[in-house]
Amino acid sequence: MNASRTGELDGGAGPSRSFSFGELVRRRPETITFLLLVAICTSVAIANPAFLQPSTLIDIGRASVVMGLFALGVFIILAAGGIDVSFTAIAAFTMYSMTVLVQSYLPNLPIVVIILMATLGGAALGIVNGLLVHHLKVPSLIVTIGTQYLFRGFLLSFIGTVWIMSLPPQMGAFGRMPLFQIESGNGALITLPFYFLVLPIAAGVTWWILNRTLMGRAIFAVGGNADIASRLGYSLRTVHVFLFGYAGALAGLAGIIHVCANRQANPFDLVGTEINVIAAVVLGGARITGGTGTVLGTILGVLLIVVINSVLVMVGIPSTWQRLVVGSFILLAAAFFVTRQRRK
Amino acid sequence: MVAQAHTAQQSAALLELRNIQKWFGGVHALRGIDLTLQPGEAYHLLGENGCGKSTVIKIMSGAHPPTSGEIVLGGQTFSSLTPIQSLAAGIETVYQDLSLLPNLTVAENVALNEQLVNANGRLARLFDRKRLRETAARALAAVGLPTDRAFLNTIVSDLPLASCQLVAIARAIATRAKLVIMDEPTTSLTRREVDNLIRVVERLRSENVAVLFVTHKLDECYRIGGHAVVFRDGQCVAQGPIENYSKKELAELMTGRSIDAQRYRTSKPSEVVLLKVDHLVTDGVRGTSFSVKKGEILGITGLADSGRNELAMALTGVVPAAGGTMTLDNKIISVRSPARAIEQGIGYVPEDRLAEGLFLDKSIFENEIALIVSRLANSFGVVDRDKGREIAARLSEEMRLNTKNLDLAVGALSGGNQQRVLIGRWLSIAPKLLVLHGPTVGVDVGSKDTIYRVIQALAESGMGLILVSDDLPELLQNTDRILVMNSGRIVAELDAAQATEDQLYKAMLANTTETVQ
Repeated sequence: MNASRTGELDGGAGPSRSFSFGELVRRRPETITFLLLVAICTSVAIANPAFLQPSTLIDIGRASVVMGLFALGVFIILAAGGIDVSFTAIAAFTMYSMTVLVQSYLPNLPIVVIILMATLGGAALGIVNGLLVHHLKVPSLIVTIGTQYLFRGFLLSFIGTVWIMSLPPQMGAFGRMPLFQIESGNGALITLPFYFLVLPIAAGVTWWILNRTLMGRAIFAVGGNADIASRLGYSLRTVHVFLFGYAGALAGLAGIIHVCANRQANPFDLVGTEINVIAAVVLGGARITGGTGTVLGTILGVLLIVVINSVLVMVGIPSTWQRLVVGSFILLAAAFFVTRQRRK
Repeated sequence: MVAQAHTAQQSAALLELRNIQKWFGGVHALRGIDLTLQPGEAYHLLGENGCGKSTVIKIMSGAHPPTSGEIVLGGQTFSSLTPIQSLAAGIETVYQDLSLLPNLTVAENVALNEQLVNANGRLARLFDRKRLRETAARALAAVGLPTDRAFLNTIVSDLPLASCQLVAIARAIATRAKLVIMDEPTTSLTRREVDNLIRVVERLRSENVAVLFVTHKLDECYRIGGHAVVFRDGQCVAQGPIENYSKKELAELMTGRSIDAQRYRTSKPSEVVLLKVDHLVTDGVRGTSFSVKKGEILGITGLADSGRNELAMALTGVVPAAGGTMTLDNKIISVRSPARAIEQGIGYVPEDRLAEGLFLDKSIFENEIALIVSRLANSFGVVDRDKGREIAARLSEEMRLNTKNLDLAVGALSGGNQQRVLIGRWLSIAPKLLVLHGPTVGVDVGSKDTIYRVIQALAESGMGLILVSDDLPELLQNTDRILVMNSGRIVAELDAAQATEDQLYKAMLANTTETVQ
């Protein structure tokens, strides 16, 4: 609880500064996320200096990749006023199908092609979501609940339920491929895997699409008010198809990385973690009603959740407490955002 | 004139509508509209709520396709337009709801559409931030808004309403518009901003841009000049230079009947006191006392901060009074909540019917029976729908709704009809006292007439009515007595039959210390 106190201190630093701080939080809500993250890291580091070892940071980086990719997809859909809960099913579907395909039929497929195919497969499933959302005119939450069951049901009924423990070699190799390695104090070799790079690249691409292309502006326009956006000439169909396709592609990519990193393919994996990802995006300052948020905030939200999940143990807080902490942070941050918005 | 002759060679008119028909479900909204718009001319599209004005501009801007008919635009004939086609042809619309995107910046709202139209609606394009700022700054300067970075980057939901209206106008003139359609553009503007807008319109016309106004404010139409186009029941009933018509003629054309500034008040109040209010105190109201007789219509007016709104809310339990007593039918009552007020027989038609009164996405039927649902339910809580429909049908008849379809969503009705549904709902519980708060705000001439007649019929039936309004002619035409509030007190009580607007104004604006003497 040390953590939240530090946050409060930062928040109420003198009456002269409080206005500009409030204004900052209102315009850039991810400031709160950042402060929470700093507060947690500081207090954990004080309680247990081992936290600052490079190995911990690398662990955090490694653990952020899959969740970060998911979160970017959720964020871009949230920015357009929708919501997606089928991305984990898309990821599970593509990763398991690709693994089965490579293992049984195309053992020599190069890893680049595998990743590309998984990404495209994810995009295809995402486009199904997008078309359904657009043509059924049903809220995306309902559509993606439906497709989550559909994709997962199809996977388990027709593709398989067997836990694949030994991956095709090129996939395992990709999971182990190092970006760099360092030797820790006790002589063990710690690796930041090459696949970590995917997250900053995906974040950069997402940022670029949202801020530098007409599509990005159209996404926020639709998130602001879909009726008005369509009246102004934005094609809702194009936006919906792109959005869900893009999020699906990220999910497919996340799925294949998840398999390679864990060196096993479990068809029952991933599904069930949606709320965790959505929590990260909302903690990053994106409003659940759409139209707001930033890529930076999303990444900070992911880091916050990953840090809570992986380092609270280091200061002796039982892992069962993680949910309590995440829950209180979400409420705390939400209360902060809301009061700031009302105060104008 | 040279420019006009030049365009005349390419095509006689900027935009031509030929026999446009539009059906919404079973409603025939447009019954064969023929309309020709010339470059550089100003048009005033006039008509009652629900006459088809909004529909026709939505067809021009590509938001709705017509059911049949032709649109001739730049020499090409279309059966319907898409928003992008319409924008690319230079038709810009300032919608009544402004159609601003609340989460985007001022600059994006003003100038993003230029890039969208240039890309022909395709979204796989880079967006040019420098150009966005330049275009936005130019357009904002033209409507008299600031052009600095801070303002360009302001999120629209942080702007006051008047600035939003100007931002919406700036968007319309940001690109090379040929026709700018403005749907009630001056509702939230101050006088100075209206003057500024009129200058903008003059500049546009001098650049050979046509301007089409949709408005209820006839005085502004005369100031701007140009052509009047009068719609009634989905048809165009008159067209011509506006100076050829008097205000009275226009009102008659719009409603199809002659409307005089007559006094509606017909019956006399009884001598029996219905409501007695003693030293009522609430936030903004400092100890007021008055009474209402059965069958009486009491007017209450004052400036916005005079306490009239707070008084209405205290009487109806929306914001309960802090002190004082209310006696209804010789019984002391307490209204701590709207539900209690309803139980006691006090009904309230709020000022903001959209936010406080109606369920817009629900049907007329459901809205009408909202207050009596529990009475329609049997002991198992099952609602007798047939009986409900019967009652709703009778109420709609009494309120003279212009549709017989009780399943229509209230949101699809015009403002005047929505207000009738709301008043009809109160009739369902037959209250002893009905408080009407600004019942004709945003309602057209014809609907006003109906609402006034209903109010009179209610008084005749013995109901007591309190009419809180800042529409002075409305009070003078409809009430028996008028109380004027000023700084939380009643400062004048006038006999409506003899009072003048002048007297009311004086009491409203008087410095309180003077009037106390």
